[in-house]
Amino acid sequence: MHSLRELQAAFACAILEQDPSTIDGSVCGGNGRERLSVYAGNVYHNLREALRAVYPVVGKLVGERFFDFAANRYIHDHPSQSGDIQRFGYTFPTFLEHFPPAASLAYLRDTATLEWLVHEVFHAADHAPFPLSLLSSLASAGCATLRLRLHPACRLFESAFPVLKIWEVNQSDAMSSEVVNLDAGGDMLLVRRVGFAVDIQPLPAAEFAMLQALQEGQSGEEAYDRALRCDPAFALGEFIECRILDSTIVGFDL
Amino acid sequence: MHALAAPFATAQTVPASTGVGLRPVHYRQILQERPRVGWFEVHSENYFGAGGQPLHYLESIRDAYPLSLHGVGLSLGSAGPLDEDHLCRLGDLISRIQPGLVSEHLSWGRVGPRHLNDLLPLPYTEEALGVVCDHIDEVQERLRRQILVENISSYIQFRQSTIPEGEFIARVAQRTGCGILLDVNNLYVNEANNGIDPVAYLDALPVSSIREIHLAGHDRAGTLLIDTHGTRVAAPVWELYAQALDRCGPVATLIEWDTDIPPLEVLLDEARHAATVMRSRHAFTT
Repeated sequence: MHSLRELQAAFACAILEQDPSTIDGSVCGGNGRERLSVYAGNVYHNLREALRAVYPVVGKLVGERFFDFAANRYIHDHPSQSGDIQRFGYTFPTFLEHFPPAASLAYLRDTATLEWLVHEVFHAADHAPFPLSLLSSLASAGCATLRLRLHPACRLFESAFPVLKIWEVNQSDAMSSEVVNLDAGGDMLLVRRVGFAVDIQPLPAAEFAMLQALQEGQSGEEAYDRALRCDPAFALGEFIECRILDSTIVGFDL
Repeated sequence: MHALAAPFATAQTVPASTGVGLRPVHYRQILQERPRVGWFEVHSENYFGAGGQPLHYLESIRDAYPLSLHGVGLSLGSAGPLDEDHLCRLGDLISRIQPGLVSEHLSWGRVGPRHLNDLLPLPYTEEALGVVCDHIDEVQERLRRQILVENISSYIQFRQSTIPEGEFIARVAQRTGCGILLDVNNLYVNEANNGIDPVAYLDALPVSSIREIHLAGHDRAGTLLIDTHGTRVAAPVWELYAQALDRCGPVATLIEWDTDIPPLEVLLDEARHAATVMRSRHAFTT
């Protein structure tokens, strides 16, 4: 073993595979393996704790031992891609979906996705509320070309499972020990920041379709069309007023 | 486009007094009570998000106290190029926060795109010296400021090493003009784990380059001392701190505490003790 690059590749391999044999020829002293195992332990521990911090509901649903088991496999198969550990775990939901030991928990992927969105929204950019001085120009704008802009700390998520209820009853401060009926139907959710806290709001289909279209950058007209397809009685004016007031809509482009 | 050209106009200098690590559980108490402490330090990456609560509190506290950004993820010692995205995000945070000090570790944690998110030790070779110095040159040029580089705790030593660690870090400082962040607890841990001589280590350092000192607690696991940052500073570490101060004079000193975070009062109490040690050693040298 000669170059720094080779030494580091072998060291990383020894840690991730938890097999010190690739590196112990380079380590001084008699108890090199014990010492190398400290690093393997630290690396897996730190990344597991990062996942646990983002995915507490998944942790509660599967239990601590199973979570550690799944997390260790994920860390091994999907190495961290950033020096910022808060970015680690983006693909954990899809990993769980395809993780055979968790196959019986069909709702696990969507529950995990909701937790990742909560994490993203917590750290997302700030934005000033919709400028009231622009309300009059909004009122006179043509709906065909108008594009309403959503707050950057805003995510939309649709699931075939009642994930909001699953999320709520598994919060650490949840009062109820309510049993979730998995056949209760799916959720259409708006995840957004209110102050510094993350709020999850269930939406009617028309409003969800409208917001989703706006987030895709569709014109106001196209978004409204989509909402009307879900609910012919969808009240556009009321929607815009309400979503400007709660800072979900923060601006517009003509 | 990322704004890497950080002006220094509003940066508050970190004073040669004692500071403590800033933890989210203490944000509100600090802003309400404004405790008497010289400065705060945070891990840079914890504020790499775009907005929300972490940056709000960091900016509020930065308006009231000098602040130091301490990075754990730039991986100065990895063979190959630096992580461009990471460096850009650090530059953005510096522009936004205007810290008094910016520091990183003398370590590596990445192989190509794969990050281990840990502070791993280097073999102290001429090749590694070249890699570290080139990376520090690039970082200081991009950020347009000096960075400090910290000695890490280590559980192993490499057979390939040809340069004593103290001499290695001294040569890094001489070649790049970077400052040294001397972690006295790490020095003590490495004495216990690897048999390095802390006095020879201190003697090798260019004292004028030491711009910050870290103090923290460690724990024992079997035959090894582990750098846990979860307890009070140990007695022999206080002694080593006094010896370091005898060489470099009063210098910004941080109480680090990263696991099992205690009440703020405990951190402030440790900081007061450090201030007492600093005053007593300074009195002897002036």
